[in-house]
Amino acid sequence: MVDDNEVITVVSEQGQTVELVSVEEWIENIDSLAASGKGVLIKPADDVTLLKDSLNKIALIALDFIGFDEGRGYSQAALIRNRWGYSGEIRGINTHLDQLQFMLRSGVSTYDLQEQYQGSNEHDYTHGFSICYQAAANNTDMKEKF
Amino acid sequence: MYQYNADDTAFLVERVDQFEKQLNRHLAGDLDAAKFRSLRLRNGLYMEIHAHMLRVAIPYGILNTEQLRALADVADKYDRGFGHFTTRQNIQYNWIELPEIANLLRDLSAVGLHAIQTSGKAMRNITADPFSGLTKDEVEDARPYCELIRRWFNIHPEFSWLPGKFKIAINGAKLDETALQIHDLGLNIVYNEENELGFAVYVGGGLGAAPMVAPEITPFVVAEDIISYLESVLRVYNLKGRRDNLKRLRIKFMVREYGAVEFGRMVDEDWQQIKNNPELKLNMDELAKLKKDFALPIEPVDLGGFTDTVDFNYSIWKKNNVRAHKLLGYSIVNISLTQLGTAPGDATSEQMRMIADLADKYSNSELRTTKRQNLVFPYVRKEQVYALWQELDQSDLASPHQGTLAHVVACPGGDYCDLAKAVSIPIAQQVQQRFDDMDKLYNIGPININISGCENSCAHHHISDIGLLGLKKNEQEFYQITLAGETLHETAIGRKLGRSIAGDEVVDAIEDIVNIYLDSREEGENFVAVFKRIGITPFKEKVYG
Repeated sequence: MVDDNEVITVVSEQGQTVELVSVEEWIENIDSLAASGKGVLIKPADDVTLLKDSLNKIALIALDFIGFDEGRGYSQAALIRNRWGYSGEIRGINTHLDQLQFMLRSGVSTYDLQEQYQGSNEHDYTHGFSICYQAAANNTDMKEKF
Repeated sequence: MYQYNADDTAFLVERVDQFEKQLNRHLAGDLDAAKFRSLRLRNGLYMEIHAHMLRVAIPYGILNTEQLRALADVADKYDRGFGHFTTRQNIQYNWIELPEIANLLRDLSAVGLHAIQTSGKAMRNITADPFSGLTKDEVEDARPYCELIRRWFNIHPEFSWLPGKFKIAINGAKLDETALQIHDLGLNIVYNEENELGFAVYVGGGLGAAPMVAPEITPFVVAEDIISYLESVLRVYNLKGRRDNLKRLRIKFMVREYGAVEFGRMVDEDWQQIKNNPELKLNMDELAKLKKDFALPIEPVDLGGFTDTVDFNYSIWKKNNVRAHKLLGYSIVNISLTQLGTAPGDATSEQMRMIADLADKYSNSELRTTKRQNLVFPYVRKEQVYALWQELDQSDLASPHQGTLAHVVACPGGDYCDLAKAVSIPIAQQVQQRFDDMDKLYNIGPININISGCENSCAHHHISDIGLLGLKKNEQEFYQITLAGETLHETAIGRKLGRSIAGDEVVDAIEDIVNIYLDSREEGENFVAVFKRIGITPFKEKVYG
């Protein structure tokens, strides 16, 4: 799905095909890209503060979780969802199974699992913990202990 | 101490259940070795030379006797009958079979113990002064804060996949027993001019191949705001810490690269946006509850005209192992796990059970672990210290070596650890044998020696009076000697003596160093004081001359 030479698209929760642009592209052409309903693909090294002022014009935000130990996406999601209050869809792409609950609690709302995990019991990893010890973007269904 | 409630235990079980599923996927070939490595490390499990090593957390070094007995049972049931107490107040087992790990962890969860985040690129066990809550000159008991911070960062959704490992120490005493400035983050409890309690925050310390003393990032964060401040430190590190160079993952490299001032500014910029978020304020009700949990479980006793037994061996042991307690009628007792002829920090299951029995009898069923790989009995009645010593002596646990040269701190080294370049334990034993005369040790006085088998520096050799670092050259084991590292009064990394020394000559070199110290010592001077006055040259000339 993610290939630099191709137009990258995701199908949103509402069933719409959304074309994704890079953070750089978005910053250069916010108004026209917003008008054509584009989403933004955020890579781990991207500076998400660049998006802060135009967040609510973005149709969908995709965060790339391709690296198993790559942790920046969780902070990016938390900033976008929790601190800046983005209310649209935040899609985790290239995601691994074992990190799903971390990702969802950080503010990611939907995800595309990598192919190697197809057929796995996702629920074990989206709901592995029922108790949490800290505030987060999304503690739905969890017993909060803090 | 804080006792786990039903929710805490349920959480531990959920963690074990998930890890068991991950293990089963790995064993079935559905989870490759690299991914499983990342997951197993987060559960304290290492692959070592002979078997798997498991590190079990002892949060800020506090154990009750039920937990110690459970640790002894684990040693018998899943290991070869012993455990190794580490310099970070944890315990490790060296002979764990992979398929048994989930059952082992379930056994531990029943007594509120776990291996969560004891390794891997996550927030590790928080260490604290083993004498917390026990001494007169304490600024504040660190343990309630340790517990609140530990909980907050337990499986934290945002900060569980950091660039590198992240170790925190919290000190509440005037003298820093925690070596907080060699940690990724150190908190020193202080009062500000308005008499509010808070923390001075140090970030970017560490040992390893590039030892660094953490600079102060801010002189004061009020206690209520510490969670949000720590979140900001971790967020800055998580987003901007290096992930590209495996040798530069720790936060110390980031702090060095940006400079302490700029790093502090980045943290502050983030923090200003969240410090007023009510969700991130320290829970003061919970803090009050924890203060009750950690209140002294004993009452002062007036022992009237009590005079202690006079006995030569007892007196030597007492001088080195017993400390003053803040409460009338009580003492703090150190039990050295560094016995002649055994690996430093090792305890057999039999010893663990025996110590648990003694702690039930003499110390209100509680004990502490220390970074010098000792166990501490925090609540011993003064008139019972002699009886405790007698029982320890019968079991060969009354080593009078605490604080002397014969009390060597060492990592497991090349005998057990896959990362080691050289052995640690045999060198420690040679040192102990060379300096086994109590009169001689008495004359030498307090002096630290720490031996690490590789640059990971698990034995903290950089901050010891005499530090040894194991190296390998042409398949031969050598040791780099550093001198006059310290942490108690100020933090300083030991100075390198010179070229490394072959394993069979290293104890001679240590004796040379000790002799220079003794020849140069003036009234009341310790090793560091002598070193500062005479410099490194006399030591160099003696060892290499």
